[in-house]
Amino acid sequence: MIREQLRNIFFYTIILVFQLFVFNHINLVGFITPFIYLIIFIHYKTSYNKTTLIFLGFIVGIIVDLSMQTYGSHTFATITICYLRTWIEKYSFGVNSNLPSAMINGTQLINRLTFFGLIIFIHSLIYYSLVFFNIELFWTIVLNIIINSIITFIVIWLISQLISNK
Amino acid sequence: MQSIINSIVKNRNLILYLTLSIISFNSLYTNSSVHYNGIGKIATYLSGKSSFFSSSIDSYFNLKEKNKKLIDENLKLKEIELEYKNQIVENKSFNSISIINANVIFNSINKSKNIMVIDKGTNGGVDEEMGVISSKGVIGIIKSVTENYASIISLLNTDLKVNAILKNSSTIGSITWDGLNPKILKLNDIPLSSSIKIGDTIVTGGMSFYFTKGIPIGTISNYDNSSLEGYYEIDISVFNDFSSISNIYVIERTDNDEIKILLND
Repeated sequence: MIREQLRNIFFYTIILVFQLFVFNHINLVGFITPFIYLIIFIHYKTSYNKTTLIFLGFIVGIIVDLSMQTYGSHTFATITICYLRTWIEKYSFGVNSNLPSAMINGTQLINRLTFFGLIIFIHSLIYYSLVFFNIELFWTIVLNIIINSIITFIVIWLISQLISNK
Repeated sequence: MQSIINSIVKNRNLILYLTLSIISFNSLYTNSSVHYNGIGKIATYLSGKSSFFSSSIDSYFNLKEKNKKLIDENLKLKEIELEYKNQIVENKSFNSISIINANVIFNSINKSKNIMVIDKGTNGGVDEEMGVISSKGVIGIIKSVTENYASIISLLNTDLKVNAILKNSSTIGSITWDGLNPKILKLNDIPLSSSIKIGDTIVTGGMSFYFTKGIPIGTISNYDNSSLEGYYEIDISVFNDFSSISNIYVIERTDNDEIKILLND
């Protein structure tokens, strides 16, 4: 149990380090920054405590906010997806959502796509709405949400494939 | 107590989520000028809306008080207006008029001898034979008073005769009512030799103990010059709508006693 916890903490740290020191400095076409740290919340096991997940979201959000000088936009977006994860699981996996093992392996592809997509999309939606915080920039916000969600989704999907293959 | 704790434990995720949300919004608000201005705008909008709502309610409950203030102010202005007119006409410089405000509590218009009752009597300074006007013009004369109430013979009373003049020519006549249409009065005693036309304004003549000169009564709506007696028969469309009078002013001419002494001599 403790070994598993330590392994998780190590995993979170590695992901955060990658986010802060590698992906934060990627600016594809000027504005695309993949948020790979969302993989932490995607791979958090369903059997684990939800309250802890919200705390984890808060801490990760603050760290990313501090590194990107976004003052709380990431924090609010991450705690929201952590809070909503129960419903997203139910919506994506249906009756199987209570099974601890049934997350990455042994689930239908379409279920996984929905789950990944929903988490990434909701996060981007909240994050960019908060960052721009101006209704006059509506189309800019929409463009950012769509493109960044797609890029983040591709990167996270690839990383997930790598992890599950190992 | 137990149930409160249970519900907190049950909803701990929601409570935690809301708390952390407030923390992150607070951080946005204090650190980012964009969000400071944006959230400030929303807060201003909301507080503006809510204070507008509460001030509307507040002003509704203050209406009575405001109304009273306005009436008092009106009273003073009316006093000044009458005083001013009187001074021009008679070149008087002393204060000969005082005005008392009152509300109508009973009013009739469908009889031949209509009266009104007001909520001021001797305690309020009202006495018999005082003139009564409204913001639009002449109403009538105080007939009798008790301590707290007074009755008025209104212009819509076949017994009342009020001294009146044509505003433009100063020809003197008298106003009566024939008991038929409450919106039409009769102007008598205007000789055929004087020129009148429809639309001329009729005001009080000032030759009575009740009214000062120049208080409006109505306008000429129709006249007949075929009378054999040498006088016009003139219909006056009255300014006041007697069916909807609620607030009136009682005029007291303080120089009446002096004039009466002279007349008695």
